[in-house]
Amino acid sequence: MDRENRNVILNTLSILILLGVLFLFHRYGSLYQIRILNNMAIFITLAVSYNLVNGICGQLHLGPNAFITIGAYTAALLTMAPAKKQMLFIIQPLIWPFTVVHAPFLLAILAGGVAATVFAFLISFPVFRVRGDYLAIVTLGFGEVVRVLCNAWQSLTNGPLGLKDLEPYTNLWWSWGVAVFTIVAITKLINSSYGRAMKAIREDEVAAKAMGIDPFRHLLLAFLVSAFFSGVAGALLAHLITTISPTLFTFIFTFNLLSIIVIGGLGSTSGAVIGAVLFAWGGEALRVVESQIDLGFVKIPGIPGMRMVIFSILLMVVIIFARRGIMGRNEFSWDWLLAKMRRGQKG
Amino acid sequence: MVTFFKLDRLVMQFGGLTAVSDFSLELHPGELVGLIGPNGAGKTTVFNLIVGFLTPTSGQVFWLGEDVTGLPPQHITARGIARTFQNIRLFTDMTVLENVMVSLHHKMRAHFWQAMLGLPQYRREDRRIHEEAMGFLQELGLAHLAEEKASSLPYGQQRRLEIARALATHPRLLLLDEPAAGMNPQETQELAGLIRSLRSKYDLTVFLIEHDMKFVMGLCERIKVLDYGVTIAEGTPQQIQCNPEVIKAYLGEPKPAGGTETCSK
Amino acid sequence: MTGTILLQQIINGISLGSLYGLVAIGYTMVYGILRLINFAHGDLLMFAAYAAIFGSAIFGLPWYLSFPLAIIITGILGILLDRAAYKPLREAPRISLLISAIGASFLLENLAVVFIGGVPKGFDRPAVFDHVIEFMGLRIQVLTVYTPLVTIVLLLGLLYIVYRTKVGKAMRAASKDFETTRLMGINLDRIIAITFLLGSSLAAAGGIMWAMKYPQVNPFMGVIPGLKAFIAAVLGGIGNIVGAVVGGFLLGLGEIIIVALVPELAQYRDAVAFVILIVVLLFRPTGIMGEPIIDKT
Repeated sequence: MDRENRNVILNTLSILILLGVLFLFHRYGSLYQIRILNNMAIFITLAVSYNLVNGICGQLHLGPNAFITIGAYTAALLTMAPAKKQMLFIIQPLIWPFTVVHAPFLLAILAGGVAATVFAFLISFPVFRVRGDYLAIVTLGFGEVVRVLCNAWQSLTNGPLGLKDLEPYTNLWWSWGVAVFTIVAITKLINSSYGRAMKAIREDEVAAKAMGIDPFRHLLLAFLVSAFFSGVAGALLAHLITTISPTLFTFIFTFNLLSIIVIGGLGSTSGAVIGAVLFAWGGEALRVVESQIDLGFVKIPGIPGMRMVIFSILLMVVIIFARRGIMGRNEFSWDWLLAKMRRGQKG
Repeated sequence: MVTFFKLDRLVMQFGGLTAVSDFSLELHPGELVGLIGPNGAGKTTVFNLIVGFLTPTSGQVFWLGEDVTGLPPQHITARGIARTFQNIRLFTDMTVLENVMVSLHHKMRAHFWQAMLGLPQYRREDRRIHEEAMGFLQELGLAHLAEEKASSLPYGQQRRLEIARALATHPRLLLLDEPAAGMNPQETQELAGLIRSLRSKYDLTVFLIEHDMKFVMGLCERIKVLDYGVTIAEGTPQQIQCNPEVIKAYLGEPKPAGGTETCSK
Repeated sequence: MTGTILLQQIINGISLGSLYGLVAIGYTMVYGILRLINFAHGDLLMFAAYAAIFGSAIFGLPWYLSFPLAIIITGILGILLDRAAYKPLREAPRISLLISAIGASFLLENLAVVFIGGVPKGFDRPAVFDHVIEFMGLRIQVLTVYTPLVTIVLLLGLLYIVYRTKVGKAMRAASKDFETTRLMGINLDRIIAITFLLGSSLAAAGGIMWAMKYPQVNPFMGVIPGLKAFIAAVLGGIGNIVGAVVGGFLLGLGEIIIVALVPELAQYRDAVAFVILIVVLLFRPTGIMGEPIIDKT
């Protein structure tokens, strides 16, 4: 059978296996395991879409946390029952029309994505018109602005009190469903002519312009797509943690995402997935460093902040000594796996 | 009558330095014109002014009846002027085929969301781009290298790829910046033949910069000479060869009578 | 709002602005030569404040010893920062440098958390800075007046170095054309180290004065001021030292005056700087004292 058909069959098979595994965990997994799996899926969504701007386009975007926050708040305001909202907004009453809106989860997720995209559009004009370097600071600043807005605009966000008691809609099906869709959609975009244009801009913006590519249009596209999925992920996250507040998605979140895609391999979707998996799993494992380690004969006290120190060092070591990360710019492919297996058989 | 291509008294000043002064040129469809001059004479600056990488201090660029002075490069390319780079600027991490496909992107008729959802409108366009790109590679004798990384190509092939991808933008005017640089005499001969055949096959007008005198004299119908940003001569290869100003600019002093046998006194 | 209150706010704005300016100088100098946004620069502010605290608290040094010591140590930290995080990446793509800078910034902040703890500490303001002067019906903290004065003195000192010494000449050359300067045999590493030393020392001075002004010190105290200082540098024209200070004054003034005029905006204070950045990028991206860009390559 030819390559394309073989790939379609293998991909479908993989998804079925994934569905099976999810079903098993959904039925028999512990709450702890399910939480990690949900986190994993959401981080996959975030990392893959973040990699679109930073890895494929080569622009340093430091504000995904802002779009996650926007998505989270938008979705939360829509899924909460009006009565609950009335109870919750004690400092200042919630503004209309949010007082009466009550939407199903799917709509809320989409609205979260759209809201994030709109905000991304608003700030992208000044940034991409000028020099990509400033993108880093402006997006970083935007994250701060969103935090300030969430804190101050109490009639919309309930200020520092945040929104509590959200319905835990997010389950393995939602989170992994979104993750798979994100991987598929963004991979298709990257492999398309648009993706080639973005890579060209990353390689040599001057030459890209000479070949008729408008850098602004394509960077904007990547930025907006990334913002959309970040908003969606934020919506999922909100209904997983069930409480959101302005201080929840700080720059630390962005930093973690950055570390994920750098370590996984800047420019590789497979790398982003691997990084996200490692992070969700290992990040939990690393928590042990911050709590007491009881070796029986001696107790090593936990050191708060140590986890982040380790992450920072890891990030710097990778970027200085192993810039390409785990995957470099390569992607996983069935060709590669089958070739490896055949070689294994022969040896 | 619609102006095909005209540069009207272009001036480019950087701070106190005048890189190009009072440069004018008219091109007619199908012409093969050369721009020569000593190093640093401002030749590439002229190219950059045409394609919008620089905005002239004064002067205008007319293309197909439109004033395109200072438009951004991607818009100039969309209007049908393509250029190659003196120091090759291929997309090194992409394959040879991908490099050419990039040039075809600006004519893409499907939307990004159609690509993301894998819809047939996009798939059709993608196939079309693939085929067209392979066509250009075949034209330039690079088809067998389609899947190779651009950076792995030997120098001569890279130069061909530069031309291939400029050609793939569907230009009517092609600007070649030192296309023969680093080539041996045989390769240079082949290149001249290639340029002539591309010109007739794709209905191009060609404006090129070169240092290789034999190449330029043998290929171009008309030549302009630049020195320190100033046009010092313009004419047929015959006229340029015998022009004392040109000779002085290149050699620093008028050549003794013996070397210019073909020139009339 | 009365005239005296307005005057008071203007003085406050200038004082705050001079702190931004001091920190902005370091950003602009490093960007001028390396084309790098040193994300960790704001954290040097924090480091200096803690160093000063340790000088007094642990070694019992009087302020006129612990402050200069803290400044020198922070200057050296700046050099080490370059050596560890940026020097290995001189030939690497820009995005790698920026990522390393972010990593370095986070590392500094979290090392502070690990070693000192996240709980804010108080900063002992020396008595000599602690009184209030009165004139023209205004009551002003003496520190508020000292701060811009110190800034101007330091700025003049720096300008002397940059425009009247050989080292300064090399710095200016490297800022204009990195490659050529390197080819001319000038020891670029030394120049870069000196740049970091000077910039970091100034940031340290700013950090100590900041800690005296807002005497609560915590590991993340340098983040927002650092961000604002960078915006000030952009506002003034990135790469331009005087521009950085001018940008700082304008930003500080703008922040204070806007909030004074429209008290409802007080909680959006931090966002004001960001809005100013967007406006600058839209209308004059090279900043107040920069040159307009003509080359689009």
